[in-house]
Amino acid sequence: MKKYKIKLDRRNFLKSSGMLGMSSLAPGVFFQELAHARPLNEPASSKNRWGLLIDANQCSEDCNACVTACNEEHGIEDFGRPTTDTQYIRKLNLTHEDSGESLTIPMMCQHCENPPCVDVCPTGASFIRADGIVLVNKHTCIGCRYCMMSCPYKARSFIHENLENQVPHTPRGKGCVESCNLCVHKVDKGENTTACAEACNKDGHQAILFGDLNDPESEISKKLNKYKTTEVRSDLGLNTAVRYRGI
Amino acid sequence: MYKILSIKISLALFLVLFSGSSITHENINHNIDISSGDKCVEPTDIMRAQHHIFINHQSHETVVNGIRTKKYSLNNCINCHIKPLADGSYPSVKTEEHFCSACHIAAAVKVECFDCHASKPYKKVAKKNIEDSSK
Amino acid sequence: MRDKTDYIIVEFSKAIFIYGLVAMSFIGLGFYSFVTLEHEGHWLTGMNNQIVWGLPHVFAIFLIIAASGVLNIASISSVFNIKIYKPLGRLSALLAISLLTGGLIVLVLDLGRPDRLIVAMTTFNFKSIFAWNVFLYSGFMAVVALYLWMMFEARYNKFVGKVGTFAFAWRVTLTTGTGSIFAFLVAKEAYNGALLAPLFIALSLLVGTAFFYKILFWMDRGLGIPLGSEIIKRFRKLLIYFIFTVFYITILSHLTNLYVTKNHGYEFFLLFSGNIYTFLFWGCQMIIGTLFPLLILYNKKLSKSASGLLYASILVLFGGFSMLYVIIISGQAFPLDLFPGYIERSSFFDGVEATYVPSIYEFMLGLGGVGIAAAIYLFAIMVLDFTPRSLDNAATAMANVPEPVTEEQLEEEKESQEEVVDEKSSVPTDQKTTEELETEEKNKSADEGKPAEE
Repeated sequence: MKKYKIKLDRRNFLKSSGMLGMSSLAPGVFFQELAHARPLNEPASSKNRWGLLIDANQCSEDCNACVTACNEEHGIEDFGRPTTDTQYIRKLNLTHEDSGESLTIPMMCQHCENPPCVDVCPTGASFIRADGIVLVNKHTCIGCRYCMMSCPYKARSFIHENLENQVPHTPRGKGCVESCNLCVHKVDKGENTTACAEACNKDGHQAILFGDLNDPESEISKKLNKYKTTEVRSDLGLNTAVRYRGI
Repeated sequence: MYKILSIKISLALFLVLFSGSSITHENINHNIDISSGDKCVEPTDIMRAQHHIFINHQSHETVVNGIRTKKYSLNNCINCHIKPLADGSYPSVKTEEHFCSACHIAAAVKVECFDCHASKPYKKVAKKNIEDSSK
Repeated sequence: MRDKTDYIIVEFSKAIFIYGLVAMSFIGLGFYSFVTLEHEGHWLTGMNNQIVWGLPHVFAIFLIIAASGVLNIASISSVFNIKIYKPLGRLSALLAISLLTGGLIVLVLDLGRPDRLIVAMTTFNFKSIFAWNVFLYSGFMAVVALYLWMMFEARYNKFVGKVGTFAFAWRVTLTTGTGSIFAFLVAKEAYNGALLAPLFIALSLLVGTAFFYKILFWMDRGLGIPLGSEIIKRFRKLLIYFIFTVFYITILSHLTNLYVTKNHGYEFFLLFSGNIYTFLFWGCQMIIGTLFPLLILYNKKLSKSASGLLYASILVLFGGFSMLYVIIISGQAFPLDLFPGYIERSSFFDGVEATYVPSIYEFMLGLGGVGIAAAIYLFAIMVLDFTPRSLDNAATAMANVPEPVTEEQLEEEKESQEEVVDEKSSVPTDQKTTEELETEEKNKSADEGKPAEE
């Protein structure tokens, strides 16, 4: 076995302690950047987990800003056929059966950590990305609609007709299934927001907050630590990335 | 007698239906706008033979890994290759004026990309192309 | 253990022409519906974002379940060694293949992107029961083809038992897989229960037997293959056993759900709310599909006649179809309960019971599957000898002769084998004219005395 001699003269000591000092400072300088905007050629990773915090107390019944913004952002057309038209996000109005107490919340794909839709997809088109966003890979989707049967939140829609006016950042077409993708094109560009959150904030309600659940310094993580929040249908054990406050 | 006749008929049908592979590339009109750049991201002969390989690979990288680099991005191809017609509107992917369809209609290979993907550039880039062509 | 039954290749006749014409027209309708839906999109159908699977899926699952159940007839002879069913083995396997093909074609043509079938057959997510079903269905075809080969080739007849057992196991797995499509769904109250798998197995046995009897009856009336009272007695017993099995599992699942307050929403919606599903469950599944067939099968006169059993079979098939419709559609129509205790309303039809009105396109697509199954069957019986020459009591009794045990019996067996080979080579069956065959059969049946008819 080779024996290594440690060279501990003054020069080397200063060099190595300088390196140690700098490398202990570096995370504070660099890692904060990575949480917000990763380079375009870097793949999504589990360092992040993107999610939403929705405050039901701030959401008002006659406001539809999130729905309108989402439809515009993704080029979702209204064909006048509500039973078959796509809805990524919808306003859910709840009235208690006995007390009559009412509230309203936006409901969309909950981006579960254990998504039933991913389990049942025969081709693996419905998948969960490394950073927690549940997506449909429309190159592989065969349109069997099994994921729609399995979603506990009725989050998915099937495209029933030929489309012509798609927006380039959200390809969508007849015969595939789709749902809220947490504005993945904005997330990948580092914009750190979704269309619905942006519109809600612009409208002054501030009911939808987007952020990185894995980053303890993000606003959403701080709020999740501070306030009581719930998952919808938490008994299913899906660990959703979308949390609600005030329900 | 009938056996030989049926063989002749099937042979004729086979030749008629499968002669599409004899279409060559030289006699097809292309509508490439060279104002936005003087060449494609890869040499022409490589693109001609392998554009679908680049597209397929990039589709996997973008959807599954979230990599949205510009070079092989389909939107980047479209922004360059699809230029508006004389009246300012964009050609439909079902007509031969569309860059991709010019070859694909002749070769009878369906471009299923545009079932989902936008076959024309987004409004912002569209304005730029019109401005450039009017200069 | 050579199969002693005399099989024939069916000649093209008026009965085949009529049924062939009907099958072809069904296929034409199905093709037209498929092309229209492929071009226009599913907005033309009654299926939407609330009712995601509709009439085509009811047809497809009905055909797949019938395919699995119809193979049971062959299994009874190969696996359970009840020799009287041996002449029916080849038909049973053929019908299994035809019905499965028909069902799968409906399923594939209803996909949003049927052009991606190659993707579905090469890219798999093995946590999905759908992916496993792709293997189970295609493997079933291969296993049944192997089974048929063992049955056709005289020197391989000794393997029929082993291959038949393998096919039986495969079929049970396949039906479990089909039931598990629904059993594995966490989201909906109506599903998510392991009991759906055995329910589908019981239903497959019932529907398969009823369907097979319908074919036997048509063979008797249309093709002139006489049906004996022995077979009728056996099928009556089978139908009774299987009706009770399905009834038992249905009652068990509903009674259990009625005990659990959490599931009362769906149970009251289905059983007592007076909508179409209530009518289908009580009227079609229970009364027409269970009670009436039992009344026929226990009636002294009707239960002994070929036509009486036919009515019972048709009612059972109708009841089985309604049952699948209720399971598949009502489970989707009942709204998801995202917030228990709250009334939910939205633009996406949360909290309201979805309505489903099947369009003509879906019905045509389903018929197309039935047509394809019929066409495969009709074509196959004209090409190979699947059909036994006769199913009257004499023919089935001959199949029931026990295997030779002593050396003398073995010698006799060998001699009679050679005799039959000589007989067969002297006058090939397909060169006898249909008239000759018919007079032969008439003479045979005149001797034995036909069973009582209506």
